[in-house]
Amino acid sequence: MSSITLRGLTKRFGAVAAVQNLNLEIQEGELVTLLGPSGCGKTTTLRLIAGLEVPDAGEVLFSGRPVTALPPERRNVGIVFQSYALFPHMTVWQNVAFGLEMRRESARLIRDRVGAILDRVQLRGLGDRYPHQLSGGQQQRVALARALVMNPAVLLLDEPLANLDARLREDMRFYIRQLQREVGITTVYVTHDQAEAMVLADRIAIMRDGRLQQIGPPEEIYRRPSSAWVAEFVGLSNFIPGRVAGRENGLLVVRTAAGTFTCAGQAEAGADVLICVRPEALRFDDTYPNRLRGTVRERVYLGNLVDYRVEAPGGLQLRVQADPSWAVAPGGTVNLSFDPSAAWAVDAREG
Amino acid sequence: MASTEGILRAGVRVAPRRGLPPWLLIAPTLLLLTVFFVVPYVNMVRMSLLVKPAIGAYEPEFTLANYARALLDPFHWRVMYRTFSLAGVTTALTLVVAYPVAYHLTYAPRRRQRWLLMLLISPLLVSLVVRGFAWMILLGRVGLVNLTVQRLTGHELVLIGTPAAIVIGLVHVYVPFMALAIAGALQNIPPELIQAARSLGASPWAAFRRVVWPLSLPGVQAGTLLVFVLAVSSYVIPILLGASNVLVMPMLIVQTLLDAFNWPLGSALSMVFFGLTAGVVAVYLRLLARGMPWTRA
Amino acid sequence: MDARMTRRGTWLAILVTAVYVFLIAPMAIVVLAALNAGDYLAFPPQGLSLRWFIRAAHTEPFVRSFLFSLKLAAWVTVASTLLGTAAALYVVRHSARFRNLLRLAILAPLQLPAILTGIALLIFFLATGIGTRGMRALFIGHTLVSLPYVFLTVSAVLAGFDRSLEEAARSLGAGPFTTFRRVTLPLIKGGVISGALFAFITSFDQFPVSLLLVSVGNTTLPIQLFDYLRFSFDPAAAAVSTVSVLMSVAIVLIVDRLVGLQAVSWGAQ
Repeated sequence: MSSITLRGLTKRFGAVAAVQNLNLEIQEGELVTLLGPSGCGKTTTLRLIAGLEVPDAGEVLFSGRPVTALPPERRNVGIVFQSYALFPHMTVWQNVAFGLEMRRESARLIRDRVGAILDRVQLRGLGDRYPHQLSGGQQQRVALARALVMNPAVLLLDEPLANLDARLREDMRFYIRQLQREVGITTVYVTHDQAEAMVLADRIAIMRDGRLQQIGPPEEIYRRPSSAWVAEFVGLSNFIPGRVAGRENGLLVVRTAAGTFTCAGQAEAGADVLICVRPEALRFDDTYPNRLRGTVRERVYLGNLVDYRVEAPGGLQLRVQADPSWAVAPGGTVNLSFDPSAAWAVDAREG
Repeated sequence: MASTEGILRAGVRVAPRRGLPPWLLIAPTLLLLTVFFVVPYVNMVRMSLLVKPAIGAYEPEFTLANYARALLDPFHWRVMYRTFSLAGVTTALTLVVAYPVAYHLTYAPRRRQRWLLMLLISPLLVSLVVRGFAWMILLGRVGLVNLTVQRLTGHELVLIGTPAAIVIGLVHVYVPFMALAIAGALQNIPPELIQAARSLGASPWAAFRRVVWPLSLPGVQAGTLLVFVLAVSSYVIPILLGASNVLVMPMLIVQTLLDAFNWPLGSALSMVFFGLTAGVVAVYLRLLARGMPWTRA
Repeated sequence: MDARMTRRGTWLAILVTAVYVFLIAPMAIVVLAALNAGDYLAFPPQGLSLRWFIRAAHTEPFVRSFLFSLKLAAWVTVASTLLGTAAALYVVRHSARFRNLLRLAILAPLQLPAILTGIALLIFFLATGIGTRGMRALFIGHTLVSLPYVFLTVSAVLAGFDRSLEEAARSLGAGPFTTFRRVTLPLIKGGVISGALFAFITSFDQFPVSLLLVSVGNTTLPIQLFDYLRFSFDPAAAAVSTVSVLMSVAIVLIVDRLVGLQAVSWGAQ
């Protein structure tokens, strides 16, 4: 089990910098997801950790030991590829045993270890099948088994659930999370699916254009996004532009075109900010000190929620999501309010 | 109601009655193949069973004498053996030479691949006679090889007229075929498989041996088969480079047909020889299939 | 990836370069031999000159067979292109049940040794009285072995063809012929032309089939060259060969420009 340290990691492909000056610390045993849109550098980062790419600058350390110069076969990493990369010409058993054979382990040890891991992923009895004879979920588990049987220092997963249908994906998410907790292995998990990241991660590292935007536990990312972009990438968000007038009782006072509001945040007085309010934080009553009036323009029934578009003063187009029990009809005027501690101010300049 | 539904279901894919029936597209080709390919071959089988008279090419009388002669004359067997062994050596050498080329081609960057393909394919479009001629120049008495050897060792090395010259010439002709067949299979191997093997501790050589090579076998199979069949039936190169010292089956068959004017025997020899070739191919395929169990499962 | 891989890569590059030299050098030598100013076929050449090209151009058998080959190849190309394209269209689009069988049948002339086909055809033509005079027999024989190339290249292009383009045209009122002419044909043009070029060069360079089907006065260039080489060995033959090599190079460049060699090589697999 190793911790992973990335220091000043940079990788260019031609003129494009896929990863720029990345600094990241991953603790032993934790599961960090690299989350971001396509092209943000998350897969490249994973491949740099694996040794499948050589960085142009910076270093990779496992538990303080530099591994940057080591090829993949010497880093003791377990990789699960998006396509699983199961050897089509080998049976399940042979696939899982491959890494141990490369290490020249004894036949008995191989037999025991492969048997044990196949039991653990519930594939005992399928050892003689070829990959093309298995379902997607089964192939997924073979890929996991093959990586884990080596007792690697680090487990790397590159969008492993992308090829599964929605239902299976959800089941497999929990499965992977459970397995990782049982084994306790340091894991880096690449995904573009925000919901997946929230379910799996101890911490989420959000990347954009090769740079790290924010890293933290899912709740922190959601409630305290570091920028408007992060706020929009992880869930839906309303943004109310305004200027910070000062601080009061630990909260920011912000003057906006729709009124003066208080919210959490770290900006200075006089700064231009956007108050980030999640759709579910807006209520159709006067409960909270931050109040507005608006006109309901659209209403969409989603089953567990109802989604509204509300027009508010200052040209604000607000998105509200509420329990269906709030019977609000389109066209009417409504009162809205939101809890200051549930609102967060981010810098108005695009970071 | 029914007609509307019918139209909607048929959609635009159905050709309206105005168009020509599709089978007209294939009719001329099938006609050509049947009359001028299938029939002549059937006729050749028939010819092999006819009698060869003293004058003329054949008589419409049935006999097995031609097959008897083809199969019982040890001379024929010697020539067949020589042909098969030349072809075998050629195929093996071609594989050894072509595999690295195919590997290099597959993993070359796109732009270079284009030029490499041009280099590889252009010899294919040059006539066999020209290529044989080129080797005649190189391997003959006034050829580069002999001159170089003379200058270095003082001895002569004239390869024209030896089986070695034929093998060199054939390998030269067939490397592009083999390389393209193998490269085709290599192209289909996802790079992640190699990366997975490396991440599991395989050195580059182990990754090649355990992953790339087995998965390239379909291409190797296609290539070796193609080259073997081509080598066995080659005529120009053996004649030009063997300089009448080396006799292979195609030469013997043509001689029998055109010089001796013995069509029945020539046909019988063709049937026997190429029948044997087909047999060898079948056995080879069976053996290879056993070495690739994952393709049957 | 790492230093070790680069070293291996260099060894491979050296080995492969040697092979490419092995492949190309003989042709280069033929061209050099043709430019030899001297009297004999020697290497290295003693000065450069075009005299052997001029000599070859004045050698009647060469000129006659060259023109004959050109004419024959032209006819074969037309026939192969028409038949091969039509066959490809049928097999790719209309033949669900018999597709594999048809493919096998059309490609059979390539799978069976050409010399065997030549033998079978010769016996057939002579036995049926069609004979080998004129261009008839050669035309049929060449078409049999050239057609498959057109079939292969056009099939490859058709396999990647988006049918919805044709359907859109039909829904806009174009009949089947018009759709073919204005939508399909322009888009498969590349495959058709490269197939035609392969057919042309296959016919022009064809040997085994020609060997058995030529008759007196109607010889193709490769056969003529072959006969010449049995008895003489001089740069005139090299000059003729050089023309052939130049034609091939030109064709490769054209095909690459049209469809890209990668498409043709991998598509035909």
